[in-house]
Amino acid sequence: MSLFGTTTGFGTGGTGVFGNAATDSHNPMKDVEVTSPPDDSISCLAFSPPTMPGNFLIGGSWANDVRCWEVQDNGQTVPKAQQMHTGPVLDACWSDDGSKVFTASCDKTAKMWDLNSNQAMQIAQHDGPIKAIHWIKAPNYSCIMTGSWDKTLKFWDTRSPNPMMSLQMPERCYCADVVYPMAVVATAERGLIVYQLENQPSEFRRIDSPLKHQHRCVAIFKDKQNKPTGFALGSIEGRVAIHYINPPNPAKDNFTFKCHRSNGTNTTTPQDIYAVNAISFHPVHGTLATVGSDGRFSFWDKDARTKLKTSEQLDQPITACCFQPQRQHLCICFQLRLVEGPRVLQPPEKELHLLEERCRGAEASEQEMIRRAKSHLLWGNAEDLLH
Amino acid sequence: MAEGGDVEWELSKENIQPLRRGRAISALQEALSQQQDGVISAINQQRQAFESELRMYDGDDPLDVWDRYIKWTEQTFPQGGKESNLNTLLERVVTKFTEEKKYHNDPRYVELWIKFAESCPEPLDLFRYMQAQGIGLTQASFYIAWSEEHENQGNSRKADLVYQEGFKKCAQPHDKLQQFHKALQARVSRQVMMNVEEDDSDDEPKQPERVSLADLKHRGKKKAIAPVNRTGPAIRNISRGLQSHGAPVLRNASNSQLVIFDENKSQNAGPSEPKLESWMAPPTSRAKENEQGPERWCDVKMPQKSKFGHTVMPPPPPKPTFQPFVEESDQPPTMTPCKINPAVNTVLSSRKPRKEETPLKRLQEHHQQQKEAESGKPQEQSMYCKELLLSGATEFCFEELRAERYFKKMAQESQEVKSHPASASASN
Repeated sequence: MSLFGTTTGFGTGGTGVFGNAATDSHNPMKDVEVTSPPDDSISCLAFSPPTMPGNFLIGGSWANDVRCWEVQDNGQTVPKAQQMHTGPVLDACWSDDGSKVFTASCDKTAKMWDLNSNQAMQIAQHDGPIKAIHWIKAPNYSCIMTGSWDKTLKFWDTRSPNPMMSLQMPERCYCADVVYPMAVVATAERGLIVYQLENQPSEFRRIDSPLKHQHRCVAIFKDKQNKPTGFALGSIEGRVAIHYINPPNPAKDNFTFKCHRSNGTNTTTPQDIYAVNAISFHPVHGTLATVGSDGRFSFWDKDARTKLKTSEQLDQPITACCFQPQRQHLCICFQLRLVEGPRVLQPPEKELHLLEERCRGAEASEQEMIRRAKSHLLWGNAEDLLH
Repeated sequence: MAEGGDVEWELSKENIQPLRRGRAISALQEALSQQQDGVISAINQQRQAFESELRMYDGDDPLDVWDRYIKWTEQTFPQGGKESNLNTLLERVVTKFTEEKKYHNDPRYVELWIKFAESCPEPLDLFRYMQAQGIGLTQASFYIAWSEEHENQGNSRKADLVYQEGFKKCAQPHDKLQQFHKALQARVSRQVMMNVEEDDSDDEPKQPERVSLADLKHRGKKKAIAPVNRTGPAIRNISRGLQSHGAPVLRNASNSQLVIFDENKSQNAGPSEPKLESWMAPPTSRAKENEQGPERWCDVKMPQKSKFGHTVMPPPPPKPTFQPFVEESDQPPTMTPCKINPAVNTVLSSRKPRKEETPLKRLQEHHQQQKEAESGKPQEQSMYCKELLLSGATEFCFEELRAERYFKKMAQESQEVKSHPASASASN
């Protein structure tokens, strides 16, 4: 399946990026399946940082393993290595130089995987499963941040078995994101805490949740000067909140929007609401992608407050996404996983799909983007856009 | 007697909430010492275990898990309080099983209802609701708790009526009901005897006492008023009038000599009529003066008071030469000197006044919503297992649920391996 090089599939045409090429219905967009996926559902994905040559993808799964693939220029993936935990892997991240991968698991430990030597070493220990792990690179220190269901946030220097610092949280950590010098953690019971990481990590502020339902995912975005300025927070009931940390006018600048719902304006049948499983920001253009349990992914522009595109409905819920921070072509990976629903009970299918998506801003001119955004505004559901 | 082991209990006696069944002293010691040492992780783990059990349970008797969980919470958190989530748990469990007829007369369920009622501001309303729903009608504990509540409120007549009702419904265990009823009668008659004695001992019945319900007003130009407190015989005299009616009323159930406000006069037949329709409208809270919802402060003006705050009798004072103290100068909160960064405006943000929410009201709303959900069409439908995530005192996320399933599966597999080591196969 040739993805690249076909000029018709991608372009600045008005119909959209995903052309109507004749692919089978299972694969409505031109994407590539990652070879040898893990045996059970995948919980997290991360692309290697741009500082490293080559393109690598790691995925942690509920089959207790973490796999690494090399993604080649033609989109094909080659499995490279694998490490095991004694419990399902919940989160994974890269170090900033791309030589190490950190994985966090339900077995209450976090491991550091040195890719060169293919050795994994335990670097952290909690009293409960570790849900989020991030690498922090500050000018005067670097460490790993782990958030766990034991209600603590711990910072580890990978060389020592004791944490550098341990911060108590009001509730279990459900998701986190780090963009130096800011870190955001969303906890159970709709808690939201922002930390500042300069000098040493400390709690900066606790925020009242802008959402009414359980927090599911969070992603920090940056402003034009490349400084983190706010975050997007997704809930389990089809809504995402955009929240700035220090906005000039909070009532106007912060907003929420509905997403991943079916039957937009059809009032006779009830609207199905799905969870927003992951949010990811485009590294350059600041547009965001959300993926949900309804099997769709959508792109949004938070500054223009418009929806840019929604995908076709895929077979299964999508659980994670990740922008590849390299090259002109931007890839998004999705993993498909069965989510616990009240009615669906199928054997789990797990596939990784690499999709090619040329983000609008890169190709189109400014006016084109605005025009396209406006057209979406017109025919899109008003309630899908702004709150 | 502060021996080594008893110290914690002695020191925090007054903070421990009493339980009807009493407390296991060992559990109490452990709970108190744990709280002092700050070792909370064990508690957290145990709680997490209960929460997951709640969600993973697939047997016939879900009430059992709730029951154990609540009992554990009571023992582990002797002070009660918010940390224990006890009230949330109680509310959840009673709401959850309201529809299940099979539990309506299960003694454990009725106990839970009674505990819940006791933690509510208006337990009597809850007991009436229970009766209307048919919960606990054949359980002696229900009637006992209800009549105790009446007794606490000073209404021994109704307390007795409740027992009558219990006998009528043949509540079990019968002996217990009788025993408590006799105790109630003994208490009431004792009180009557005491009152009668006091009556006799008081030789100067009414002369110097003022039986007046109004405040004393001063006369003359004196503007200072000393507070008026009625003490001693004056009070007894007033209240005695009510109590002396108690005895004859008890003997004659249909006595209606009580002229004093009795809202339940019309229900002389006793609380035996299940008034379903009366519960569509939630009972209004009686403690209105304490339940003012939060309001904006900026625009509220204090009523203008005169200098001394009293209404002064004639002659009216000459117009004061200075401005009376009036709180006109309400400054908006942001102008008061404060060190809070003005950009941080989560402080002092005004909230819309919430409707009064009592647990009973929430129950009724839930009941109504359930009925609606069955009959009408819901507007929105959440496509995930809401009940699984949200049952229990705290919520779970999808991953936690899945992790619980994984651990359960692992536990089962290791059990199998232990019991059949020969046939252990590598399965994952």
